[in-house]
Formats: sequence, structure tokens, C-alpha cells
Amino acid sequence: MSRRDPRPGERLAQALTTRRILVVCGSGGVGKTTAAAALALRAAQGGRRVLVCTIDPSRRLATSLGLSKLSERAKLLPLERVDPDATGSLWAMTLDTKRTFDRLVERHAATEEARRRILENRFYQQVSAALAGSHEYMAMEKVLELSADPRFDLVVLDTPPTRHALDFLEAPDRMLGVLDTGVLRYFLRPYFVAGRLTLKIATKTGALALKLADSVLGLQFLQDLSEFFLAFDGMYDGFKERAAQVHALLRREDAGFVLVASPAGPALEEALYFHRRLAEKGMPFVGFVVNRVHPDPAAVPPSGGPESRVGPELAQALASVFREQHALANADQRRIARLEVDVAMPVLRVPEFEADVHDLRGLAQIADVLVPRARRTARTPRRMPARP
Amino acid sequence: MVLDDLLSKRLVILSGKGGVGKSTLGMALALAARERGKRVLLVEVDAPREAARALGAGPVGSRVTEITPGLSTVNLDPATVMDEYVRHTVRIEMFVRRILASPIYRRFFAAAPGLPELMVLGKIMTLEEARDGWSRKPRYDLLLVDAPATGHGLSFLKVPLAASLAVPVGPVGSNARRILKLLRDRKRTALAIVTIPEEMAVVEALEFHRLAVEEVGIHAAAVFLNACHEARFTPAQEAEILALGARGAQGRVAPGVSLPGALLAARRQIRRRKLTRFYEARLRRALPLPLVSLPYLFGEPQSAEALTTLARRIEAA
Repeated sequence: MSRRDPRPGERLAQALTTRRILVVCGSGGVGKTTAAAALALRAAQGGRRVLVCTIDPSRRLATSLGLSKLSERAKLLPLERVDPDATGSLWAMTLDTKRTFDRLVERHAATEEARRRILENRFYQQVSAALAGSHEYMAMEKVLELSADPRFDLVVLDTPPTRHALDFLEAPDRMLGVLDTGVLRYFLRPYFVAGRLTLKIATKTGALALKLADSVLGLQFLQDLSEFFLAFDGMYDGFKERAAQVHALLRREDAGFVLVASPAGPALEEALYFHRRLAEKGMPFVGFVVNRVHPDPAAVPPSGGPESRVGPELAQALASVFREQHALANADQRRIARLEVDVAMPVLRVPEFEADVHDLRGLAQIADVLVPRARRTARTPRRMPARP
Repeated sequence: MVLDDLLSKRLVILSGKGGVGKSTLGMALALAARERGKRVLLVEVDAPREAARALGAGPVGSRVTEITPGLSTVNLDPATVMDEYVRHTVRIEMFVRRILASPIYRRFFAAAPGLPELMVLGKIMTLEEARDGWSRKPRYDLLLVDAPATGHGLSFLKVPLAASLAVPVGPVGSNARRILKLLRDRKRTALAIVTIPEEMAVVEALEFHRLAVEEVGIHAAAVFLNACHEARFTPAQEAEILALGARGAQGRVAPGVSLPGALLAARRQIRRRKLTRFYEARLRRALPLPLVSLPYLFGEPQSAEALTTLARRIEAA
């Protein structure tokens, strides 16, 4: 618990005041977006101009911020509503992968003709969002762009919802591998030149390969696909350079990774693996957050009120609910303690709140647990808003 | 009722945000369907932990494996499915080996946008069409597909639509159109949306429903609300709990169970139950679909006991 060992909270608190980029990672369904938004909120309360950005196929961030909608344009949130003393500002935006992709193409296409060819390619229009790793690549691309934006001191990036936390780090390389037209050219160019199928095939092997490819996928598909990839010809170097810049950016001292997990066994195992990979890749790690930890009713202190007795039926019902929650809490603590040994550092625990967190006020409460406030702004803790 | 409707289909796709218990529900539904005498195939897509393990068998991989009579599972890994497709189409072993061994082929498969999804859906269609030798009866009465988490899940279902628009001719385009036809056939295919009583999961479920129904044209048949907290106290007991809590009552209700701790646990439970009701009502209002609420399970959710409990509840819904 942060009370037991103040270090993890302090480390995160420091990151919130000094770093310029925080990347919040974790597998799907662990409350990553909520943690990202809570951290951003706390940094803004502390006086920084903060942007929290998410890739959002389903408006997660908007929901967690209590908004119905977010767009690609950074939106200023009413921070004063939860904290009149806040000295910074909080902005939020979502990232539209397709539009970021379009802009990237516009920027890197060598000629107007190349640009048009890509943007008008049927394949590009329909499926570029499904290009392996494109969400993750675009998120990183966006970080690079935002890191240079003078409006913000800190950018908190909520990573795309992936099944595995690691996808975020590895997917961009996958996409680059895909767009490495050097390889694809070898495969496609003998048969498709500038989008036109040419049957002047030099070798027997080539003819055979073409025949096989036709039976498996169809020539039309291959032609469309080759047009798609050939359109990227010449852009690859630009993409790759941007990716190298992102790599450098994320290893800088003013960047930091926060890892979020739930207390379930598989989520913790994955977090442990991810942590190891971050270390291997030399990524700056600033904190481990385990969300939705079940609170232990056995840890409730004596109330100091009058001695009371309850009837046998109620006593039985109470005892069974108590025992269920106690068992859940114990199981969580055991798993987290094991993780702490494995990563050799204390882990921040965020208790499961009684109400769902999906507004600024709820986020402020999570922020209080993650990074307890400095005395300057300390005040009586708010009760959870009565919801719904 | 809900089960009857789902079991009248050939293909049921389970969809929802990560962490809402889709896989667990898939197993429970498979058990319930099996109980009714259906031959069920539970299909997972690139699953990290396979259903077969939870259901008591070893890992099954990309091969359909019968776990108990009438209940089979398969874990479809897109790359393996693609290899199989190549093998099936090319047929000549020497060429097949050369294609599969080529690094360019691997690269190409990873590169082609949407191709992995299309391959997996194509395989699901093939499994749906599978007939037994002489009798020509369908090999499976029901395919239950544990779809990848939404976000990615919708793009999974949207790929056939995108591909049929992007590739007008050739095997890829025509396969995409056949898959789309299967997905849109409300006699054969239904979507079951899975969620939990939490704001984000519910919002995502509503959004997913809209996109799946309006954009892809899949028929949604039911919503499953997992992890519901149910009433554990009578209204009179609830009132007493609140009153005792307000007084800061002391004491002990059982060995090792302090009254303040128990009251806090009880109030937490009551609040969770109210939230459950709230989201049930919201889902009912927003979606014109039958809603099946399933209980929060303590302990290992994919234990045999837990799965049987869920299967019974689905049967009763």
C-alpha cells in the first residue's frame, strides 16, 4: 500500500512534475484509460498544462472524463469544477488513426501524384486502419507531433486497447516491416508495374509463382495490393525515420512508462513480462499500478460507536458477504505481493471504488490514491459521489 | 427463451470489451448447448489461453478437438489458417512446401491489411458448412465464436464488408461477399453482446451494437450482462445495515467477523447491486434485445463449478 511504502507514489508524483511524456500501457480491460486520465488530472492540478490522448475506437476516454464526445481537436476540460485551486489545465483528445495516416501520407509522399495515388487507392480507403500495427504506429506518430506542441507541458498517452500490452511497443516495427517495400517490391514488381499487370515474366519460376498466387488470392487482389504497397514506395524512409525519432523520444529522460494491470492472475503475469521487456529495451519505467484491488473488510478499524447485536439471519448474511470480500482481498494481496517480489519494487494499489469511475470527480479520487496531494492543497477527502 | 433463440442459429458471435468475461460465457453457453443435445464447436481466435484447457483438455491449437462427445473447440491462429488455405488451394505438396517456407509469403501475409481477419472468418464459414461424410448432415449444430475484444472486434467483423468493396473480383472478394452473406443472414447468424455493469463497458456495448447492426448488418440476438451483484439482503435488512452503519455500531457477527467490517462489506455489496440494476435498466432502455443477467462469481471464474452455474442460469433465462 502506498501508506506502507511511500516510494512508488513519490516516484510517480515526481514523474508527473518533471516528465514531458507518459505512456500508459496495459492489456485490455484493466482500467488503463482511467489511470491515464487520473494521472493527467493530477498533473494539471499541480500546475502543468496537460494533454491526455487516446486512440479511441469506442470513446473510452470521453466516457471516463464524463464527456459524451471527444474529437481530434484537443478539448479543454472544466478542471475548476473538481478543483478550484488547480493551477494548470487539462486537455483531452482522441486520435483518429485514419486521419493521422492520411496526414502522414500527405507529409511524406514524394510527389503530388504519389500522394493522390495512395489516398485514392480503394485498398487504402477501405482497410488502411486494419493494416497490422497501424493503430500503434499512429499513436507513436502522434506522440512525436504532440511532444513538440508548445501548448502542453506534459502529454499522457493512453495506448490502444490491445490484447497484449506488448503489442504497443512491437506493432510499429511490424507495420514498418510491412511497408518495407524493398521486400514487397521483390515479390510484386516483376508482375505489376505501376499497377499494370505485365505478363512478360522472365523466369519459369516467376510464371509459376504468378499462377499460384492467382489461384490462392486472385490477380485482382494482388494488383490492388501491389498498387497499395507500391504507392508507399519512397515513403518508407520517411516513415522509418519518424519511427526512429519516436524510439529516441521514448527513451529520453523526460519520457516515462506507467504499467497498469488488474489484480487477476493472467493480467499480473503479463504485466511482469512487459516490465521485463521494457527494461530490455531501455525504456524509462516510472510506476506499476494495480487497479481495482478488492478492499479487505477485515482491515476496517473499530468504529468507536455503541456495542450492537444483530439478529441471527442478518448476522449470517453479513458474515457470508464479509467472508467473500475478505477472500477476494486476500487473493489479490497474495498475487500482488508475489509481483512485488518479482519486479523488486513496490506496486501502487488502487482500491476498487464503490461506484464506477467515469467523471472528473471520480478520477480525482483515483489520483488521490495514486499520487497523494501535497499538503498545500490538502483538504478533507471527498466522499464518493452518490451514484447513480 | 434466449437460449432457444440462440440455439436456433448456426453461428453465434460473442462480442464485448476486453475483460468482460466473453471466453467464460462462451464456455458456459457451449455447455448449455451441449446439455440440450447440440453438437457444439467453440471457436476462439488467437486465444492466449484456450478454452480446451479450462474445459479440462490439453491445448488444442488450430485443429478441431472434441473435448467431450458433442463439444469441440478450436483456436484459430490466422497464420496457421492461411497456411491451411494455401495447402487446400494449391494442393501440390512440393509447391505448398515452397510457398510456406518462403519468408516473402510470411511477410506478405502480415502485410496484407485485413487478410488475417478474412482468413479466420473464411475458416469459420468453412466450419459452418462442414458436412459429415455420407449423411450430409451438418457436422456441428452450432458454432460459438469468441470474437476478439471490441475495438479490434468490430474491425474483425467489418473486414468482409471492407474487402468486398475494395476487391470487386477474384477469390478474396468473392469469399468476402460469401462471409458477409453468412454474417447478415439472420436465420443462421446472431450476435450476442457481452458486457458488465460498468459505465465504460456498457457504453462500449451500446456503441458496438450500433456499429455491428447498422454498418455490418448483423442481427443482434441478446445482451449478456456478466458479473451482476444480486440482492443478498432483504429490504428490511438493508435498512438495518444502513442504520447500524450510521450509528458506527461495534461488535462481532461471527468469529473473526467484526460488525464494522461486515457493515462496510454489506454497504459495498448493496451499492454494487444498485449499480447492477441501474445498468440493467439502461441496457433494457437502449437496446431492443433480451437481457440475460449472470451472477458475479467468486473464486476461479472458469472452474467447472462456475461454468455449470452459469450454464444453468443461461438455461433458466
